[in-house]
Amino acid sequence: MRNYYKYLLILPGVLFLTIFMLVPIGMTIISTFFPNEAAADTSNYASLFRDSYFLEILWTTLRVSIVTTIICMVIGFPTAYFIARMSAKMKAVLLILTIFPLLTSPVVRSFSWMVIIGRNGLVNEALMGIGIIQEPLEILYTPTAVIIGLVHLFLPLTIITLVGVMESIESDLLTAAASLGASRVGVFTKVVLPLCVPGLVIGGILVFVGSFTAYTTPALLGGQQRVLSTLLYQNANTLNDWHMASILAAIMIVVTFIVITCMNLLANKLNPRR
Amino acid sequence: MSLFTLQDVTVAYQKQAILQDFNLSIGEGELVSLLGPSGCGKTTTLRLIAGFLQSKEGKFLFREKDYTKVPVNKRNFGFVFQNYALFPHMTVFDNVAFGLRQRKVSKASIKDRVLRVLDIVSLRGFEERFPAALSGGQKQRVAIARALVIEPDLLLFDEPLSNLDANLRVNMRVEIRRIQQELGITTVYVSHDQEECFSISDKVAIMNKGIIEQLSDPATIYRQPKTKFVADFIGFKNFIQFDRRRQESDGIAATVQGITLTVQQQDNAGGLVGAIRPDDLRLYPLDAAPMTVENAVQGKVLISTYLGRSYQYEVQTSIGQFTVNDDAGAAPLANGQDVVLEIPKKQIVLVD
Ligand SMILES: Nc1ncnc2c1ncn2[C@@H]1O[C@H](COP(=O)(O)OP(=O)(O)OP(=O)(O)O)[C@@H](O)[C@H]1O
Ligand SMILES: [Mg+2]
Repeated sequence: MRNYYKYLLILPGVLFLTIFMLVPIGMTIISTFFPNEAAADTSNYASLFRDSYFLEILWTTLRVSIVTTIICMVIGFPTAYFIARMSAKMKAVLLILTIFPLLTSPVVRSFSWMVIIGRNGLVNEALMGIGIIQEPLEILYTPTAVIIGLVHLFLPLTIITLVGVMESIESDLLTAAASLGASRVGVFTKVVLPLCVPGLVIGGILVFVGSFTAYTTPALLGGQQRVLSTLLYQNANTLNDWHMASILAAIMIVVTFIVITCMNLLANKLNPRR
Repeated sequence: MSLFTLQDVTVAYQKQAILQDFNLSIGEGELVSLLGPSGCGKTTTLRLIAGFLQSKEGKFLFREKDYTKVPVNKRNFGFVFQNYALFPHMTVFDNVAFGLRQRKVSKASIKDRVLRVLDIVSLRGFEERFPAALSGGQKQRVAIARALVIEPDLLLFDEPLSNLDANLRVNMRVEIRRIQQELGITTVYVSHDQEECFSISDKVAIMNKGIIEQLSDPATIYRQPKTKFVADFIGFKNFIQFDRRRQESDGIAATVQGITLTVQQQDNAGGLVGAIRPDDLRLYPLDAAPMTVENAVQGKVLISTYLGRSYQYEVQTSIGQFTVNDDAGAAPLANGQDVVLEIPKKQIVLVD
């Protein structure tokens, strides 16, 4: 008899995910096609995608998430490279510093950004003080503010993921590349970067999905500027339109899924390690 | 003429000096091995030559030019790592071509040279494989090909065969020697396998705690170790600490505790320690010893051990304890038996 007992190990996890995730998500998505318990109906989707207000919010959400992801990667990559090459002791210190911000809640962090980038905040005071600008900059309650908040939120995650991947690159590979004539830049672009692709993809997915679905940060820093998650909340809680909220949730799930798939495909293309 | 010279080099990790006033000089076209116990500084020496490490003091001269400060990527030395260090994201072809691409060699010429070197290491047809799909021996050969293809001025091996099984090790070392001689590339080879070093090297450097105790051709090291450490390392298990020595007409008379042994004249002066291998000693029962025993010393068998091809005896004498390997053919000697130990004068080596 074959040994089926090992499947018992994953049973609790599977059960939990099925009952509390797959079923509700499935029901939510299915319900969006049956607004009045009548026959299936997709007109709601169709009209939504003709609604310029919704399209603008969808586009803003995507833009904010993509820009946040790119900024996190661009800042996080060199930082992680630096940290990964430190001595064990220094590395521990720097990693603790990196995850330190994760210990404060997103609410607290968003409020502190309000103090910093608000009309009379630190940034504007400083810039006007040294005379670079005359009028205060409108940063707070714009997509830029949301991006700043999200980068702050997700940069630690990016760095930790990338440090993990970089540490797994044998240092002999770098020495080997150098001994074969590669310059510092060559070692980086030909060896380090390609071997970091898996880390970049995982980090990218984490940041993108996190930003795409984040609620607190855009709610506090975005002001009137809605993103999908705040729009969803508004529909459900303020307008009590649960049907529309479900449709938005379904759209968010699908977009997330598409993006993850695309990034995985891209990663496989860039990373021929087998 | 020597190709490169390390002059009074000092290397330290943190405060601890690993190499101190280290000197080494290697001739063009030679294969020189560094051999020594774990931690004696072999890898350190090799990494220093490659430029992976900087010396605190001293000079590295290559073809009479000062190379001390020349960076790794400008040295044109091939390095073969113990764990191969193949690029996992590149095919065999791209791994081997890496060095040539850095040198901006034309595409056609790259293809030509890569295929030629893959021929040399018998890996033609493996161009499109990734390292993960190669056996240990094949990875090893890719690593060698990658180092060879740049036509290095110097080839450096750090225990390249230590991850392979015994059979493959013998095959690969023959391969390495063949390729090295065919292309005439000067090579420094690190290993702690004595047989491996002796079989492929023009010269062997025996290292101990960051110092080269002896640098000679394998046969000389085998027959004429210079120091007690070297003698011990290559299997001279028995040592006699003499009190004094005197030059005689038929050799050297060395004395310990009133017993004088004759030692055959040897090339290098040597010191006051006599060294001899267990295989070179002979044992006779006290009552059956022939008349013509050289350097006879009386003793008693302490322990006898059966080794298959021979018996190994621990023998206590007035000038110390000896380990003797004796033919299993003769009737074995019993524990506690009184014996005569013969120390053939040709086999004793006087070392420092
Ligand atoms: N990065 C390092 N930091 C501190 N000490 C080191 C470092 N690398 C090596 N050492 C020390 O330097 C000495 C020489 O090391 P090395 O690697 O040269 O030995 P080895 O002769 O190659 O030994 P093995 O045969 O085990 O490979 C050792 O005592 C080792 O502990
Ligand atoms: Mg070593």
